[in-house]
Amino acid sequence: MPQSHIRNFCIIAHIDHGKSTLADRIIERCGAIRGTAQEQMLDTMDIERERGITIKMTAVRLAYTARDGNTYEFNLIDTPGHVDFTYEVSRSLYACEGALLVVDASQGVEAQTIANASMAMNQNLEIVPVINKIDLPHADVIRAREEIENAVAIDASEAVLCSAKTGEGIDDILEAVVHRIPPPKGDPKAPLRALIFDSHFDTYQGAVAYVRVVDGSVKPGDKIKMMATGSTFEVDTVGVFRPALEKAQHLKTGEVGFLTAAMKTIGDAAVGDTVTSAAHPAEEPLPGYRKAKPMVFCGLYPSDSDSYEDLRDAIEKLRLNDASLDFEPETSVALGFGFRCGFLGLLHMEIARERLEREFGLDLILTAPSVDYLVHRTNGEIEHCSNPSDMPPPNESAFIEEPIVDSTIMVPNEYVGTVMNLCQERRGTYVRTEYPTQNRVILHYVLPLAEILLDFFDRLKSSTRGYASFDYELAGYQRSDLVKVDILLNGDPVDALCFIVNKQFSYQRARAMVEQLRKVVPRQQYEVRIQAAIGAKVIAADTVKPYRKNVIAKCYGGDVTRKRKLLEKQKEGKKRMKQIGSVELPQEAFLSVLRVAE
Amino acid sequence: MNSPVAIYVHVPFCPSKCGYCDFNSYALAGDIVGRTVEAMLAEIRRSPWRGRPAKTIFFGGGTPTFLDADCLTALLDAVVEAHPPIEGAEITSEANPGTVDQEKFRAMTRAGFNRISLGAQSFVPEDLLRLGRVHGAADVGHAVRAAREAGFANLNLDLMFGLPGQSSRAWRQNLDLALSLKPEHLSLYCLTIEPDTRFARLDRRGMLDLPDEDAQVEFYDLAVACTGNAGYEAYEISNFAKPGYECRHNLCYWRGEEYLAYGPGAVGCFAEPAGLRTRYTNQKHPERYCEAIESAGDLWCASESLDEGVLRTERIMLGLRLREGIDHLPSLDPHALASLRSRGWLEPEGARLRLTPAGRHFCTEVAAALI
Repeated sequence: MPQSHIRNFCIIAHIDHGKSTLADRIIERCGAIRGTAQEQMLDTMDIERERGITIKMTAVRLAYTARDGNTYEFNLIDTPGHVDFTYEVSRSLYACEGALLVVDASQGVEAQTIANASMAMNQNLEIVPVINKIDLPHADVIRAREEIENAVAIDASEAVLCSAKTGEGIDDILEAVVHRIPPPKGDPKAPLRALIFDSHFDTYQGAVAYVRVVDGSVKPGDKIKMMATGSTFEVDTVGVFRPALEKAQHLKTGEVGFLTAAMKTIGDAAVGDTVTSAAHPAEEPLPGYRKAKPMVFCGLYPSDSDSYEDLRDAIEKLRLNDASLDFEPETSVALGFGFRCGFLGLLHMEIARERLEREFGLDLILTAPSVDYLVHRTNGEIEHCSNPSDMPPPNESAFIEEPIVDSTIMVPNEYVGTVMNLCQERRGTYVRTEYPTQNRVILHYVLPLAEILLDFFDRLKSSTRGYASFDYELAGYQRSDLVKVDILLNGDPVDALCFIVNKQFSYQRARAMVEQLRKVVPRQQYEVRIQAAIGAKVIAADTVKPYRKNVIAKCYGGDVTRKRKLLEKQKEGKKRMKQIGSVELPQEAFLSVLRVAE
Repeated sequence: MNSPVAIYVHVPFCPSKCGYCDFNSYALAGDIVGRTVEAMLAEIRRSPWRGRPAKTIFFGGGTPTFLDADCLTALLDAVVEAHPPIEGAEITSEANPGTVDQEKFRAMTRAGFNRISLGAQSFVPEDLLRLGRVHGAADVGHAVRAAREAGFANLNLDLMFGLPGQSSRAWRQNLDLALSLKPEHLSLYCLTIEPDTRFARLDRRGMLDLPDEDAQVEFYDLAVACTGNAGYEAYEISNFAKPGYECRHNLCYWRGEEYLAYGPGAVGCFAEPAGLRTRYTNQKHPERYCEAIESAGDLWCASESLDEGVLRTERIMLGLRLREGIDHLPSLDPHALASLRSRGWLEPEGARLRLTPAGRHFCTEVAAALI
């Protein structure tokens, strides 16, 4: 296949605008899979299909015979559809020359449409706007065009109209790919440079790197070098995605495919790294590599302390396929042995938890999610702190910085006030407003990351009847008046329950936590004092009175079995109690409190 | 095996269902009553344990005295025929003060009953109404006198405390009234809210105004003190008796002995070879029970085999309820024992261990620590 007949492209869209369905139609139309039964074939994980989002992107090579009679090689690269995975999106965009920007004709442009489109424009991709779902009764093509022009600032006069559901307009899209998206440039004679835009781990072959060959070519037997990590390997196999992996003789300039090279960990095939020839290395790596950096942290503990080793195995296995998952062992007085884990975002965290529970059959306790704070100590040292219980006492820190995000919120006019209130409440700083169309507004706010970890997105959706869309990117750190609130039971701190909060909300959050605890801490033999404190200063307190009795009034022949079972259950429950100093807490108490904290 | 054994007969009928009650009892009338009695007679006559002497016989319910004197007599005759009572056997029937009169009591003593247990519950009319009892406050005194005149020399009164809205004073008055009737035995129960009862639903809606734990503890201590002063011994958590009048039938339960049972929903427990036990429950609803007897179907709706571990648990759970306590088994956890003793809940008594007066409030806690 001549380089001029290759088209590498991706589809970008706001969630639910029909990206996966469109991909399916294109794959079908090009005959890669005949009579397919399984919808949305690019989303391979169960969780992706259930949640209707793409987490782990994939690629597929297709052959398309165009109206001009030529056959073209299409490489359709799927992109993750969630803000947690922005870095992966940017890498997959880099493997393409063009992007189909899909906009739902009934919804119009949304926050992620703008975010994804501007990312594609920054990488100089040719953007083909596609207005999807034109079969819907409330489709409004004119408005969608207007919004694309005003909010995304691209010419929408030649936007392709389609319905991925009915198949209408699919051929027009394929023709647009041929004629509007340029073929890959690249120099076939230059030393090999291939971008790793994704990877997965295979038990037999090791890490499988998904690559876009930018310059040169690669074939089995070649000695290769990873430019960021410096490690070298010998290529075992190369091949393409159909979408199942299919071996090939070589991958040439402009092509998209995979390679295996007995790489033992997923870190050996780091997303964003450049593969080059070990013998004739390129001088410059492809731009843009950075290590995926976790943003959200939490403690992961087995609810049954006997399954700590199982949890370790499970996390290690999960990490084989998920290089962005960070973890290190952690011990909690309250929860025993577990791991401190770092995630790209809340969704990433939720997915990891679900996979650990579902695929490995574990029952987990997650501590409240935290962000990574920068603590400026009084002695001038600066340190990262992502675990509230590691936060130094107030007298040892000069000030604390917290991560902030630039957020884009797109919302119909009538909800602007509601959304602004919400952002204020979440310590947001107003930046600016844009008016892409008559009745839609784009609000820009700087928000502390910690504030959107709570229920920001849910609140945003519920207060705008689901109309608001939201996107954000990290924007560094900002000094903030933060305090660590300790929770104490009879004077003993419960490490798993302490939290960091902006001072102005500390009383409110402390009060809520203490009240919740009072409801769930069972009466004990002694009085239990529940306190929330900042340093030595108690800011909220309550007590649980001791119990006075625990006795069954009557027990005769017909009651014995039932009472015995109750007694055995009580004994079993006691074994699972967590001992905090002199106080016994049932597992359920922890869980319910941590749920509130979430 | 031909050793004497406790016999229980369950009469599953009541004039009406009380708000707190989760027993196997039904407010039924008409043909089903006679049919059930016939089925019970058949069950007793066909009993696989025929011939084992009766150590004690106990008619419970429900309300046994819901049945007429002839039925009660026929049932007891059948039991006595199947299980000849040993010399001086205790033969009890429960009775509701609203369903008895002197004539019925006379018929009962003639039939062979020698102990009567009256479900008085309270002497306060409002309490009785709220509980859903069919008898009035004055009925208890009348019933006691009638029972005495009919020849019952061994009489128990059931009373409840911790009733909705009950004050310490009202409970004290109830105790005094009960003691003034000079029963040989008193069962004093703290009201327990059982799931799936009318009281449980009311409680969920916050409509019961129950005395709190502190009050319940005070009421119980008051009961122990008053009965103690009047010459009763608290021989079990909720049971108080003049010396020699402990309920021998119920002691069989608490001592982990065998008991055979007849009637709908009756629970029996018998010894198997090799030290194991089997506990069974008869079909609970009278209809199901009758069908099972009439068509020789499955009489048991549940059964379980009790192994050594389970029996040990039960011995501890039940034995702790008794003043005589439990054997100081070598298998008891010494740390748990030391901790319970240091809390002042458990004390040694010769080769046995028993709850202290303070420990009685934590019987379940102690049992959980020792099993």
